[in-house]
Amino acid sequence: MSLSRPHITVDDLRIGWGERVLMQHINFQIERGTIFTILGGSGCGKSSLLRYLIGLEQPQAGRIDIDGIGEPHRCEGVPPFGVLFQSGALFSSMTLAENLALPLTTWTAIRGATAMQLVQAKLDLVGLGPFAEHLPGEISGGMKKRAGIARALMLEPDLLFLDEPSAGLDPISAVELDQLILTLSRDLGITVVIVTHELPSIFLVADHCIVLEKEAKGIVARGDPRNLRDESVIPFVHNFFTRSSPRISAKQGG
Amino acid sequence: MSVAVQVNREGDHARLVLTGPFDLAHAMAVARAAQSAEGRLSGCRLVDVDLTHLDRIDGAGAVLLARLLDRLEDGQSAARIAEGNNPEAARLIALYRERRTEHPVTRIRTMTSLTRIGALAAQLPGKANDALDFTGRCAVALPKAAATPSSIDWHSLPRLIQGIGADALPVTSAANLLVGVIIGFLGVSQLGRFGAVAYVPQLVVVAHFRELGPLVTAIVVAGRSGAGLASEIATMKVSEEVDALRSMGFDPLRWLVVPRCIAVAASVPLLTWIGDLLALVGGLMATAVITQMTPRAYIRATMDAITAGDLLAGLVKTPFLALAIGLIACGQGLLTRGGAAAVGSRTTTAVVLAIFSVIVISALFTFFFALIGI
Repeated sequence: MSLSRPHITVDDLRIGWGERVLMQHINFQIERGTIFTILGGSGCGKSSLLRYLIGLEQPQAGRIDIDGIGEPHRCEGVPPFGVLFQSGALFSSMTLAENLALPLTTWTAIRGATAMQLVQAKLDLVGLGPFAEHLPGEISGGMKKRAGIARALMLEPDLLFLDEPSAGLDPISAVELDQLILTLSRDLGITVVIVTHELPSIFLVADHCIVLEKEAKGIVARGDPRNLRDESVIPFVHNFFTRSSPRISAKQGG
Repeated sequence: MSVAVQVNREGDHARLVLTGPFDLAHAMAVARAAQSAEGRLSGCRLVDVDLTHLDRIDGAGAVLLARLLDRLEDGQSAARIAEGNNPEAARLIALYRERRTEHPVTRIRTMTSLTRIGALAAQLPGKANDALDFTGRCAVALPKAAATPSSIDWHSLPRLIQGIGADALPVTSAANLLVGVIIGFLGVSQLGRFGAVAYVPQLVVVAHFRELGPLVTAIVVAGRSGAGLASEIATMKVSEEVDALRSMGFDPLRWLVVPRCIAVAASVPLLTWIGDLLALVGGLMATAVITQMTPRAYIRATMDAITAGDLLAGLVKTPFLALAIGLIACGQGLLTRGGAAAVGSRTTTAVVLAIFSVIVISALFTFFFALIGI
């Protein structure tokens, strides 16, 4: 593992199912310790791209290379990164503490008081200390997402993938979650890859982004999201960052 | 380099020198080293923590060190971190110290067999109450449903009858046919010892029509359709579809439970009747294969043995068995709370309760018929 190499390199990736191509010519690099966002409208394939990045699917062509790991779909054994799924994906029959303890007791020899100390510290880190013995059904959506992040952090990964972390949350919970992501990146030095279309979150946390478009079947813009908002001349990117719609503008104009 | 927490003590001042990897892979060693160092620090007023020789640190190592420092400060010692050339480690430890919250002690549930039995017993009154409450609400819903037929989802009825009745026909038929074969074989082997093979057709008719036909059919339907109904409604409950129905003014009991109960009550008697016929064929097959009795003689003996009383004594209980299956499956589905695991456990409970209830109801009918001499 080298500090100078990008943490993730995606090289001419083509993804899809069977004959159908969802996206092609995807190229980008993610630097270590940064917060990288994958943006785009609903249904453009952001979450699908994430599934390839975490190795759940095998690309049709091209290559994803995670520094020190190689191609994610070939990984076996201890998961080399943490993942937060859209719904939190906590196991409903287990308490939060048991959810967090699961990767620890499965992949390490840590048991007993030490395991519970680590579990409790991660719950404290995401502000869920007092809810260790609650079941996922007994906590709110925002808390489920925070618990999902805590579980993703249990094996001390240096890379975290978050799928729509602040979607469906109230503004206060969303900004708290964004602050947590900033803390994880700055204080723990974790590389964070976020799939989202929540503009406030993007402007608050993202260092770098790519914008995907369904019609283009690929990346239409890349860079600092604040610069893209202020300077992009690509209509889709401009509309995306300014929350405007050409159809509504045409109606109002007519 | 191995994990070590070296304690250099001078009076009430100590210096902790940390060496080696303080990470997840060495967490147990770190925990032991921290505990051992803590024992040697009692009575210290000032503890300096030297991170200069730390090989590496991650969240797990930082948590264990942060908790050690917390405990030292709780014991009236002042802890100072000399970060040296390792400011990242100091920041990580500080993060976990800042984020510590007061909370109850956590534990992973470990239920012994005895605890499980106790927990099950403690749940019984609540479960009985739920069942009675559900039965009462269904009893109230029925007249309301009759008064306002539009409050029932009639459109789903053909689909439900197809699923519960027609689709179950192969498996209930096969089960009844085989039960007929079994009774035939048993009859031949037992009655044959007394030269009474001629009574085998009568045995098949009485045993199957009165008892085994309704029971076997109901048990198969309880296992197959009971599980299907319970899991369908349980999934609707956990995915908030039942709440959505309520929010639109539908009564889930009338909209979901009534059509399902009607479908089961319409299907089970028909399946039983078809099953009865196939059991006669099964009995014939068994007898014809291992005895000299001709099929013609068997059929004639069967025709002589069949009475309306035997047929009706069996068929009359089938709607009650069907209603028990429908009510239990739907009731358990509607009682589901939680996520995917709750769907599984409610479905299991529904099937177990439905099969048990079917056997109990069947036994009660038999007892009642014996009392009134049918």
